[in-house]
Amino acid sequence: MAEATRLTGRQVAWVIDLNRCIGCQTCSVACKVLWTQGEGEEPMWWCTVNTKPGLGTPRDWESMGGGYQNGELALGRLPTAEEFGEVWKFNHDEVYASGKGSEAFLHPVGAPPTWGMNWDEDIGAGGYPNAHFFYLPRLCNHCSQPACLEACPNGALYKRTEDGLVLRDEDRCKGEQTCSRACPYKKIYFNAARKVSQHCIGCFPRLEKGVAPACVRQCPGRAVFFGFLYDPKATVHRLVHEWKVALPLHAEWGTEPNVFYIPPLSTPWIREDGSVDESRRRLPTEYLESLFGPRVRDALRTLESEISKRREGNPSELMETLIAYDWKEMLGPFTRDPAELTWS
Amino acid sequence: MEEETQVVVRSYEEARTRASGPASEDRYRERWRWDKVVWGTHCVDCYPGNCPMRVYVRDGKVVREEQSGDFPRIEAGVPDMNPLGCQKGVCWGQHLEAPDRVLHPLRRVGERGEGRWERVSWEEAIDEIADSMLDAIEESGSESIVQLMGPEANPWNAVGLARLITRVGGLNTDVNAEINDFSPGIYLTFGKFNLCSSLDDTFHSELILTFGANPVYTVIASYHYQVEARYNGAESVIFAPDCSPSTMLVDRHLPVRPGTDAAWALAMCKVIIDEGLVNERFVKEQTDLPLLVRTDTRRYLRACDLETGASEEQFFVYDQRSGRVVEAPRGTLELGAADPALGGEYEVTLADGSRVTVTPVFELVREHLEQYAPERAAEICGVHPEEIRKLARKVAAKRTYVWAGGTSLKYYHADQMVRSVILLLGLTGNWGKKGAGIGCWSIGMFDGMMLLGQKQQKGPEETRRFLSGRDAVIDAIKAEDPTRTEEICRIEMTRRMAGLAGMIPPAFLWYRHAGYRENWNRADWSDPTMPRPFDEYMREAVEKGWWGDVAWPAEGQPPRVIFQAGGNTLRRTRGGQNMLLRQLWPNARTVVTIDWRMSTTALQSDFVLPATNAYEAPRFHIPSPHMLTLIYSDRATEPAGEAKSEWEMTLLLAKALGRKASERGIEECQSGRGSVHSLKDLYQQFTLGEEMITEEDACEEMLQDTVIAGTIPEGTDLAAMRERGYLRFIDWGVSPFAINQASDLKPDETHAHSRWHTENKLPYPTLTRRAQFYIEHEWFLEAGEALPTHKENPKMGGDHPFVMTSGHNRWSVHSMNTTNPLLLHTHRGRPHAVIHAGDAAKKGIRDGDEVRVFNDMGEFFVPAKVTPNAQPGQVIVYNGWEPYMFRGWRGPMDIEPGMVKWLHLAGGYGHLHYWAFQWQPTPVDRAVRIDIERAK
Repeated sequence: MAEATRLTGRQVAWVIDLNRCIGCQTCSVACKVLWTQGEGEEPMWWCTVNTKPGLGTPRDWESMGGGYQNGELALGRLPTAEEFGEVWKFNHDEVYASGKGSEAFLHPVGAPPTWGMNWDEDIGAGGYPNAHFFYLPRLCNHCSQPACLEACPNGALYKRTEDGLVLRDEDRCKGEQTCSRACPYKKIYFNAARKVSQHCIGCFPRLEKGVAPACVRQCPGRAVFFGFLYDPKATVHRLVHEWKVALPLHAEWGTEPNVFYIPPLSTPWIREDGSVDESRRRLPTEYLESLFGPRVRDALRTLESEISKRREGNPSELMETLIAYDWKEMLGPFTRDPAELTWS
Repeated sequence: MEEETQVVVRSYEEARTRASGPASEDRYRERWRWDKVVWGTHCVDCYPGNCPMRVYVRDGKVVREEQSGDFPRIEAGVPDMNPLGCQKGVCWGQHLEAPDRVLHPLRRVGERGEGRWERVSWEEAIDEIADSMLDAIEESGSESIVQLMGPEANPWNAVGLARLITRVGGLNTDVNAEINDFSPGIYLTFGKFNLCSSLDDTFHSELILTFGANPVYTVIASYHYQVEARYNGAESVIFAPDCSPSTMLVDRHLPVRPGTDAAWALAMCKVIIDEGLVNERFVKEQTDLPLLVRTDTRRYLRACDLETGASEEQFFVYDQRSGRVVEAPRGTLELGAADPALGGEYEVTLADGSRVTVTPVFELVREHLEQYAPERAAEICGVHPEEIRKLARKVAAKRTYVWAGGTSLKYYHADQMVRSVILLLGLTGNWGKKGAGIGCWSIGMFDGMMLLGQKQQKGPEETRRFLSGRDAVIDAIKAEDPTRTEEICRIEMTRRMAGLAGMIPPAFLWYRHAGYRENWNRADWSDPTMPRPFDEYMREAVEKGWWGDVAWPAEGQPPRVIFQAGGNTLRRTRGGQNMLLRQLWPNARTVVTIDWRMSTTALQSDFVLPATNAYEAPRFHIPSPHMLTLIYSDRATEPAGEAKSEWEMTLLLAKALGRKASERGIEECQSGRGSVHSLKDLYQQFTLGEEMITEEDACEEMLQDTVIAGTIPEGTDLAAMRERGYLRFIDWGVSPFAINQASDLKPDETHAHSRWHTENKLPYPTLTRRAQFYIEHEWFLEAGEALPTHKENPKMGGDHPFVMTSGHNRWSVHSMNTTNPLLLHTHRGRPHAVIHAGDAAKKGIRDGDEVRVFNDMGEFFVPAKVTPNAQPGQVIVYNGWEPYMFRGWRGPMDIEPGMVKWLHLAGGYGHLHYWAFQWQPTPVDRAVRIDIERAK
C-alpha cells in the first residue's frame, strides 16, 4: 500500500524543526481538546512532546519493540496504562469547601502518580554546566510500511490513497491491541470504555477541507512544516529529499515514517575554566545518531554551514525556507482558515 | 482560499464520491463541526498575551478555540506574528466549567480560610459590601478602601471597579509594584521604564543578548522570532545560572553566578573603552557622559553654580572646538557645532569667585571601570574573561538587542544590573534603531478606556471637551518651560495629577499596615552598604515630601475594605500569606475577591463574587506596543452559573452605594487628601446619566473615544470589531505611556523604541534630558551607586547556604492556569523544586521526594525535581503555583521577605518622582537565601 500512495504522490508528511520546538505542548493540548475528550479518551495524548534524552511516554517506549526486523514484522511489548501516564483526579472540592481549610491542599488523590505524559520534562542528561536536552514532539508517523496495519488481525487499519494517512475502522477494531504491540513508536492508545484502540487521525476532517492539522496550524513555535512528500515543489519534499536536513526517527525500525525531524543544533561545550570549546557540542552527536541515524551528521553540517552563510551576509535558500516569512508557507496546500468554513 | 488549497479540497471531494470510507470517519468529521464562530482572547500574563483566537461554539457551548492565524505581514522581509497563542490559550474553554470555577456569590460562614461558605444572592452580597464600604468611609476615611490591583485587571476593572473606588475616594494600588514588573534600571537611565519594541523587531537584531530570562517558558507565542533571527544570521547569547530550554537553543550559554550580571556588563564596558570601540558620536549626543561634574562635590556643574539664581537644571559640556565650557542644550540632543569632550579636567569659576575642577562623566566612568577588568569580573560572576572580551567586541560591531527578562527586575540590585547593561548599549550606540535596545512592558493606545474614566456625560462632545481641557494643561506645562517635549509635558501632567488619580505606590501601605517595616529594617537581610536604617530613609522621604500626595493610606489608617479582582495577592505578594494574613487581613472588616476561579486569595476572603471568564461577556484587552493591536473578545456563550462581568457587578455596587449613602444621609465624603466625592446618584454618575448600562454600551463608547483620540481608524465601531476581531493601531494617541515609545508608529514597519531620540534628537525625560548614567542624588552618592556598579545580593531571609531563584513557569505563567485539570497533566500535577543532582545527593534527596525549604521567614514543602540543570547551590521554584497546591497552603512566596531597596524611595531629584507604573519601590524575590532538607 505504500506503493499506492507513492504512485498518487499524495502522502502527507510532517517536518518538525527541533530548533524551533520549545516544548510548550500547544500541539498536544490543541490535539487533546479537539479529538480526545470523549468517553475513554481521557488518558490519550495522540500528540506529545517529550524531553530527550529522557524516557518519554509511554515510559521508555524505545525499548518496547515492534516494527520490522530483517523485513519481518516483530511484535513488541504492550505498554501499560501506568507507563503512558494515567488520568489524575484532584481534590478541588475538598480544598475549596470542605471546611478543612489549609489542612487540605490540591493534589492528585489516591496513590501518588508515578508517571505522566511529560513526567521527565526538562531533566535531560549531562552534567552542569553542560547539561543538555531538546524536545521531541511525537505523533503517529502515518508510516509508509505501517507495522500496525500489517499486524491487525481484523483488518481494521487502512492507509488512505488520498493522503496516505493510516486510519482505523473503529467498527472493525476489536480492541486486541496487536497494533500497539507492532507499533515501535507506541503511539496507539486503548480506549478502555469503548474497547477499541485509537491513534492520531492526522486531522483528516481538516485536511479534507483544506485546513492544516491542529498540531501544525496551532504550533506557536512555527516548528512544523506540512505538505505532500512527493510533490517536488513542496517544502517538506525539499527539506527531506533535496537538502536532506529532515530525517525520520528510528528509521531502522523499518516502518518508513512520514514524520521527519530537523535535528537540534547545540550550544557549545563549556570547559572547566568557564571558557567555551567551539569544537564540541553539548548535545552529543552520537545521541542524535542513535535517534536519527548516521545521516544526522550531514544534516547538522548543512544547517551549520547555511547559518554561517547568513552570518556572513550571504544568501541561503535553506535558511529563507526555515525562516518561513509567511507562516502560511509552512502549511503546504492546507492554508485554509477554519473559521471561514461553513457547514451545510 | 488559495488556488492550491482549492485543488486539494476538490480532489478530496472527488475521492469521497468515488468511495466513502468507513462510518468511523464520519464520526470524526462530525466531531469537528460547530454552529458559531466568534472572536475571543484571554489573559495578559506573558506579554503581549491576549492572542487573537477564534472560538468555536456548538449548541451554545464553547467546544474549542484556535489561534486566528491571520495576522498580516507588517514589514517586508520580516516574518509575521502567526499563529500567536500558547497551550494555555488553546484550551481556555476548559476553564468555563472547570472544578475551580466560582459559580455563585459566596459569603464566608466559618473562619477566614476555613472553606465554609454560604451561597448568597447578588443583592445580599452587594448590599453588605456597600455597607462595609460606607462604614469604612465614615469610621476610617475613604483611603481605607483599597483595591490591591492585579495583573488581570482587564478594562472592565479599569473603567469599572477601580473607577468606582476612585470615585468614592478610595485607593487602587499601582499594579507595577504589586507584580514587581517595574524596571528601576531602565527608569533611572531613561526617565521611563516602559520602552517596548514590537515582537517582530527582534528579527532585525544581529546579536540577541539575553539575561535574567527563560523566554522559552515565558514568551511561548513570540519566541520564534529569536530562532528566526538566528536563521537570519543573528547570534544569540544567554547569561543564565541554570541550564534551561532557553540555554539550549542559542549560540552561547554563559553560566553566571546568580545576581552578578552587573559584573560582566561592566567588564564589557571596560573592554569597549580600553579597546577604543566606543561609539563617540552616539555617546556625546544621546547620553550624559559628556556632561561636566564638579570634582569637589561630585555633582553635575549647574548654571546655578556659575550664576546666583540661575537654573538648577542647566548642565554643561566642554566644547573641544571652541575650547570653552558651554551649555548642553535642554530642548534638543542636537549638538550643533559643539564637540563635547569625553575626557580631561577643566577649571571653572563659580558664582562666588572660587575655582573648581570639572570633568566629564565619561572620565568618571573610565576610572570607575578600573575595578571591572574582565579577570576581576570573572571572579565575581564566573564568566570567563575571554568570553567577556569576545562578546564585548561583538556588541560594539553588531546591532544588539538585550532581552532583559523578569528576573532583571526582581533582584535587589536589579537596577544596577540593568543600568550596567544599558551603559554597554549606550557606549556602542545600540538603541533607537531597529533590532536594538532593551525593553520592558507598556500599555497605551486604547485611549477610550482612559477617557471613559474622565467623562461626566456620554458622547463625543464631552470627549472633545475633556481633550481640549487636557491640551490646555499640556500647553501650560510647555509654557512653563518651552524646552519640554510633548512626552515630557505628558509625564509632568500625569505626575501632577497622580494624587487625584487615586492610584498609589503600595510601598507605604506595606510598610505601615502589612508588617514590612520590620523586614525592611532587618540589617542582616538588607544590603550591608545601606548606610542608615531603612526607617531613616522612609522618614526623610516622607518628610521631604518626595512622595507628596501618593504616600497613602496614612499611618493609623489600615485598610478596612480590601478588594482583589483579576489577581491573587496572596500568591503574588512577596511574603504572601505569611505577611498579609498576619498583618493586613486582621484589620480588614471585609475582604472581597472577584474572580472566575477559586484562588488562594478567594479562599481567604469574606466574599467571593463570580466573574465572567473570557468568552462569556464582551470586552477588550489592554493592548501593548508588543503587537500594536486592539483585540476584541466577544460573548460566545452565556456566563456560567450566576457569573457577572466586572462591569455589571460594579454597576450594582454603584447603585447600592448611592442608595445606602442617601439612607445614611451622607451626600458626600471628603478624602484625607482633601478631595470631595459625591456619593449622591453614584449610579447616574457612573453610567453617565444612565446612558451606558451594558457592556456593549461601554465598548461602543470606548471605541468612539479611541477613534477621536486618533489611534484607530474612523468608523471603527463594535460591529466592525465583532466582524474583524482586531485591528492595528494607527497612532499613539494621548496617553503618556504610548508616547514613551518615542518612535513613529508605521503601518508597514516593525516598531523599535526611542527613534525620536536618536533620529529626531528629542531629549529624554530625565533630569539631564539625556540617557543618564550618573545619578548624583545625595542618597546615590552616599551609597556609592551614582554610577552603575556591582553589589552582592544581600542575604535576604537569613544566612543560609542555598539561593532560591524563580521565574514564570511554563504551564501557567501566573496562578490562573495551575489548577486547570488538563494542564495539570502536562507536568507532574504538583509544584516542584528544581535541585541540582549533586546537591540532592548530599542532602539525601531523590527525585520526587518531598523537600522542606526553609529560612528565617518560615518553611514550605515541595516535591523535588532532581536534574543536572540547576547550578549547584541554586534551587529553582517557579512562581505561579497556587499556594493551596502546597501543604498548609504555604509556598515559596511565604518565605520571601519582600525586601525593597532603600534607594528607590529617593525623590526630589529630576525624574525621580512617582507617576503611574513608574518610579517607586518594588519588592524583590530573586536569590532569597534558603536551606533544604528531605522532609521527615
